[in-house]
Amino acid sequence: MSHRPVREGGWVGRPLPLKEDARLVAGRGRFVDDLGRPRMLHAAMLRSPHAHARIVSVDTRGAEALPGVFGILTGAEAVARSGPIRPLIPTTAVVPDYCLAVDRARYVGEPVAAVAAVDRATAEDALERIRVEYEPLPVVVDPEAALGADAPLLFPELGTNVVWHDTLTYGAVDEAMARADGVLRERFTIQRYASTPLETFGGIAEYDAGADTFEFWTNDQRPGLTISSLAASLGVPQSRVRLSCPDIGGGFGNKRRPAYLLVCALLARKTGRPVKWIEDRIENLTALMHACNGIMDVELAYRADGTLLALSIRDIADEGKNLVTPTQHNLIKLGNIANGYRIPAVRYEAWSVLTNKCPSGANRGIGKPFMCFAIERAMALLARRLELDPAELRLRNYVTAEQMPYTTPPGARYDSGDYPATLRRALERFGYAERRAEQAASRARDDGRWLGIGIATSVEPAGTNLASYEIVTGRRAASGSAEAAMVRVEPDGAVRVSLGDPPSGQGYETVLAQIVADELGLTPDAVTVTRGFDSATTPWLYLSGNYSNKFSVTDVGAVVGAAARVRDKLLRIAAHRLEAAVADLELSGGAVAVRGAPDRRIAFAELARTAYADVLGLPSGEQPGLEARQAYQNPLAEPMDGERRVRSQLVFSNAAHCCLVEVDRRTGLVKILEYLVVHDCGRELNPLIVEGMVHGATAHGIGAALLEEFRYDAQGQLLASTFMDYLKPTSVDVPLIEVDRLEHPSPVTPLGAKGVGEGGAIPGPAAVANAIEDALAHLGVVVRGLPITPEQIWRWTR
Amino acid sequence: MKPARFRYARPGTLAEAIALLAEAPGEAKILAGGQSLVPMLNMRLVRPAVLVDITRVRDLTGIAPAGDGGLRVGALTRHAELVVSPLVRERAPLLAEAARHVGHTAIRNQGTLGGSLAHADPAAELPAALLALDARLHASGPRGDRAVHAGEFFRGLLTTALESDEILSAVEIPAPPAGWSFTEIARRPGDFALAGVVVVLGSPLTPPSPPRGESLRVVGFGVGDRPLRLRSAERLLAGVTINADAAARAGAAVGSDCDPPSDVHGSADYRRHLATVLTERAVLQAAARLAGAP
Amino acid sequence: MSVIPPSERLAVRLTVNGRPVEHAVEARRSLADFLREDLALTGTHVGCEHGVCGACTVMVDGRSARACLLFAAQLDGRDVITIEGLTPADGLSPLQECFRACHAMQCGFCTPGMIVTATELLAQDPAPSTEAIREAISGNLCMCTGYVNIVRAIAQAAARAGARA
Repeated sequence: MSHRPVREGGWVGRPLPLKEDARLVAGRGRFVDDLGRPRMLHAAMLRSPHAHARIVSVDTRGAEALPGVFGILTGAEAVARSGPIRPLIPTTAVVPDYCLAVDRARYVGEPVAAVAAVDRATAEDALERIRVEYEPLPVVVDPEAALGADAPLLFPELGTNVVWHDTLTYGAVDEAMARADGVLRERFTIQRYASTPLETFGGIAEYDAGADTFEFWTNDQRPGLTISSLAASLGVPQSRVRLSCPDIGGGFGNKRRPAYLLVCALLARKTGRPVKWIEDRIENLTALMHACNGIMDVELAYRADGTLLALSIRDIADEGKNLVTPTQHNLIKLGNIANGYRIPAVRYEAWSVLTNKCPSGANRGIGKPFMCFAIERAMALLARRLELDPAELRLRNYVTAEQMPYTTPPGARYDSGDYPATLRRALERFGYAERRAEQAASRARDDGRWLGIGIATSVEPAGTNLASYEIVTGRRAASGSAEAAMVRVEPDGAVRVSLGDPPSGQGYETVLAQIVADELGLTPDAVTVTRGFDSATTPWLYLSGNYSNKFSVTDVGAVVGAAARVRDKLLRIAAHRLEAAVADLELSGGAVAVRGAPDRRIAFAELARTAYADVLGLPSGEQPGLEARQAYQNPLAEPMDGERRVRSQLVFSNAAHCCLVEVDRRTGLVKILEYLVVHDCGRELNPLIVEGMVHGATAHGIGAALLEEFRYDAQGQLLASTFMDYLKPTSVDVPLIEVDRLEHPSPVTPLGAKGVGEGGAIPGPAAVANAIEDALAHLGVVVRGLPITPEQIWRWTR
Repeated sequence: MKPARFRYARPGTLAEAIALLAEAPGEAKILAGGQSLVPMLNMRLVRPAVLVDITRVRDLTGIAPAGDGGLRVGALTRHAELVVSPLVRERAPLLAEAARHVGHTAIRNQGTLGGSLAHADPAAELPAALLALDARLHASGPRGDRAVHAGEFFRGLLTTALESDEILSAVEIPAPPAGWSFTEIARRPGDFALAGVVVVLGSPLTPPSPPRGESLRVVGFGVGDRPLRLRSAERLLAGVTINADAAARAGAAVGSDCDPPSDVHGSADYRRHLATVLTERAVLQAAARLAGAP
Repeated sequence: MSVIPPSERLAVRLTVNGRPVEHAVEARRSLADFLREDLALTGTHVGCEHGVCGACTVMVDGRSARACLLFAAQLDGRDVITIEGLTPADGLSPLQECFRACHAMQCGFCTPGMIVTATELLAQDPAPSTEAIREAISGNLCMCTGYVNIVRAIAQAAARAGARA
C-alpha cells in the first residue's frame, strides 16, 4: 500500500471532539471491573513477603474451611494443571515459569497462592488463613551485584542471573575512538518507575465445562499474545479460547500479565464458576511491572568542532524477575541509540540481568527514555566541554531532511522529518535568547532562585518489528508489525469498523471513524467503531494489540485497506445497479452517485439490501455481503541481516523539548515555569488527540524526572508501594505545556501519519535534567541519574 | 484492599460512645472522618474488633467563643469548617491556615480536628498548630473529663495522652498572639510535610484578663516523633528585635532540637535543613504580621 | 443502639442521586463498592483505596468525599451524588460539555472524580484563576492528559457560566 495524500476537505486532519468522550465524561465507560458474570466469584492473591525464599510448604486447610471460599490454587496445582508461561522473547535461559510461585518466591509480592470466594473481602480473609513456610534465601537487588560470580542466583539451574549478554558492533568504533579529538565518558543511571494507569489490571475468566472452552474479559493490551499464551498454558487450542477487552483505563504497555489471567482460569475450571480478579493499587505498584532500572556507561567520540564520530555504550538492564520479556528494553534502546544524530560507528554491549525485584515490563517509551536521557545528557556535557551552545552542537550533528531516508548503524531507518528545523522552531517559540537574558538577570539579582534552561530532542519511533528479537534469540519466530481490521456495511446500510488493537484512551473510535468516513464519503457520526476487542468477532493476529506506538503506522493500513475494499465493492454494486461505469461514480452523503448527475444515486442501505437480501441483484461473480477484513503489515519491517542490523522500530517522528525551571537554592524545590514541545508526527490524523498525547506523555517524562521511584532496600522490600510514597505528578507539578508542530508526512505510511503516543515521555526526563543542571551549572553539578529530588539538589548546593 | 471484619456501632451521644469503648478495651477504634484510619483499615494495618462511628455525636460539634478572645472547637469539626469559619479566622487564624494545608478538599471535607489530633502523625499540621496556640485538649471517658495541655498531649509517634477508653471531645484555644505564621514544605501539594514550622509571637490582639505577657513559640513538625517546641530558636529570639539576622540565627540553631525521620521522601539531615530554612522564614513572617502585615 | 456483628448486615437508608435507597450492607462495605456493586452505579471508579488518587470522588451532603474512605454504613440519612447524578437525562451538563469540547480526558477513568471536584470548585469559586483550578484538582490524579486540557475545560466552563449569568 503506497502512501496516499489525505483528501482535501476530508475528516482526517480535523480536530474533532471525540465520540467516546461523551460517554466517558458521563461515567458511562465500561471497564473490566464494571463487568460481571452470573454466579461469579472474586479472587485474591497471597503474595510472598520475602524477596527470595524457598517455599517449604503451603497449607491451605484453614482457608478452605472459611465459609464463602469456593476454591484455592497453589503453585503445585499450577504445575499439575497448566503449562509454563510462554515467553514473548525466548532467550536461551529457558526455565519453566508458572502462574504461581512453585518452589521459590523470587520477589516481594510474587503470587504464591490464590483464593476464589463470594467477594473480595472474604477472599482476603481467607488469604490470612493460608500457612506458608518460607526459608529465606540471600537476596540480590543491585544489578551489578547480580552480575557477579558470587551473586545469589534466582535460578540456580541457569548458573547465572544474566539472561543475555552480547556486544553488537556496527562500524569501526575503536578506530574512530583512537583518532577522535576527544572521548566523553560518563555513567548514567535510571530508576525504576512505571506509567501506572489509573485503572489497575484485571480480568474475569469463565470456563464452560460442556464445551471445554475458556472465556476472558480483561484490560490486557496485547490480546494476540495473551490468547496464545493462555491457550498454550491451559492446553486448549486457541479456537476454544475467547478473549474480549472492554474500555481500558490507560495502558502505556503496563497491562499485560497472562499469569494472572491463568490463575483466574484455573480457579474457574476448578470451581465451575466465573472468577474475577482486579489488582489493587498495592499489588499494582509492587508486582505488576516496573520499567527496567539500569546503568549505562557512555563513550562518545568527537572532533574538536563537535562532530560525533562514534558511540560506545555498556548497558545493564535490571529486569527483576522477568522471564517473559527480558531484553525488551535493551533491544528498543539499541534501535534508538543514535537519537537523530549522524553517528557513523556504534557499539552496544548489553546485559539483561535478573534480580529479586518486581518483573520488568513495557512502559511508555520502553527503554527509550533512558536511552535518550543518556545521549541528551552526554550532548549537554559535550557542549559544555567544547564551550558550544547546546543547540548548536545538536544542529551540527542532526541527520538532515536532505539525508532522509537515513539508516543508522544498527539499522534504524529515519524516513522523514526535519530535526534542525524542529529545534530551531522550538528555540524561537520558547524565546531562547530572551530566556538566557532572563537567566542572567536573575543570577545578577542573586535572590536565591536559580533559573535553568533545558533542551532535549529525540526521535520517536513507531511500530515494533518482532524480527528484531532474533538479535537475542538467535532465530526468527514472530516477525514484522501487523494489524487486522474489518469494515462492514450492515444489512441496513450502517457502517461498522473493528480493529484488532484495543484502545486505552487514544481516541480510536473517533479517528477510525474519520478515516473510514473519508474513504466512504460519510460523516464520522455515521461510522460506528466497535468498542474494545472480542476475539470471536474482531479480526486479529498474534501481533495484534495496543503497543509500541503502532497505530498510525500499522493499524491505519489495515483500516484504510479494509475500507478501500468495501468502497470498491459499493462502487461495483452501484455501477451494476445504476448501469454506469465505476469511473463515473463517487461516494458522498452515504450514497453512491453518478458524478454530475446527482439524481442518479443509490444509498448504502439500498446497496446493502442487494448485497445481503436481494442477492440475485448482484453483478455476476460478486459475492454477497459488504464486509472486508484486511490485515496489513508495515512494509518497512524486514528480517535481521547478516550483520545483525534490523529495523526494530519502523517509522520515526521527532520532537524538541525546551523547559525553564526555577530552583530554590535553599530548599532544592524545583518549579517548572515553562515547558514547550515542538513535535513532528507527520500528518496529524486528529490534532486534538495528538496534542493530548503530547501533554500526557510529557507529563510522564516530568514524573520520571522529578518524582517517581520504586526504591528497594537491601532485603528487596519495596519502599514505595502506595500512592503516598510512589509520587505521581499532579496538576500542580505539570506546567501548562505549550505545543507547536511541524508536519513532515511519512512517505511510507498509508496516510502519512507517524507515531505520537510515546513522544513526550522520551526526551522529557532529559529536558528537565538538563534544565536543572543548567540552573546549577555555576556549581559544576553534573546530573547522572533520576529522579532529581529536592534533597539531591540541596546536597549538590550545600 | 478490603478491611478485616469489625463490629460496627454508631452512638448518638458521648456517653454511649464512652460506654462502647469501655466494653471492648483496647479493641475498639474511633471512626470520625476516617481519612487516616480507613486507609489503614483497608491495608489491614489495624484490625479493631469494634469500630465506633462517632460522627453523629452532636456533643462533639460546634465552634464557640470561649474565655477572653479564645475559642472552643468541637472534636468533630471538619478541617474544611476550620478553614472558612469566621470565628476561627478571627480568633485563631493560624488554625485556619494550618487546616488549609491538610490534604485536598475532599480530605478536608471529611477529616476532623479530633481525628487528626488523636492520630498524631508527627508530620501533621494541626497538632503543631495547637501546640503553638497553647491549646488545651479535652478528653472524655468513664472517669470523667480532663484537660491536657498540647505540650503533654502528643507523646510520640502516633501516640497521645488519650487512654484507650477516652475520646477527644473538644479543644480550647486561648486568645493567640497577634504575630503568627505557618510554613511547610512538601514534595507535592497536599502531601504530608517533609518539615514545617509554626511561629507565634507578641501579645494577643484582645488583651486577656488576667493579662498575659508576650509569647514566643516556635514549633516544628515532621522533624521528630511529635510536634516539637524548637527551644533553641525561642531562646535566641527572646527579647530581641526580630530582623533577618536574628531569624537566620534562630534558624541555624534548631538543628539540635530536631530528631527527624529518614524515609523515601527525605533524609533526617535534609529535614533538619528544611527546619532551619522554615524557621527563618516563619519568624520573619510572624514578625511582619505582628507589625500589621496581613 | 446496637453493635452490629461483622457478618450481620445493617440497614442503611440514604438518598443517592435524588432517589431514596434502602439496602442491607456489611459493616466493612465501602461506599465505593456499595455504589458500584449494590446500586450498579459504576461511574464512580476505584483507583487506590487509600484516598490519594481521587478517582472515587463523590458528593456527600454537598461536599466532595473519597468514596473509598467511607463505609456505606456511615451514610445512613445522608445524601450522595455521583457522576450519574451530575449527568442530565439527555445530553451532557455544561461542565461535561466543556470537558468533551476540550478533550479533557483520554481513558476516562479519572473523569467522574474530576467532574465532581470541578463541580465543587465552581460552586465555591465561580471565576477561578488558572492557579486556583490547578490547586483544586491537585487531589485528582490523571495519568493520561497531563491535566492541560482539564484545566482548560474547567476555565471554559467558568467563563461560559459567567457569560450566561
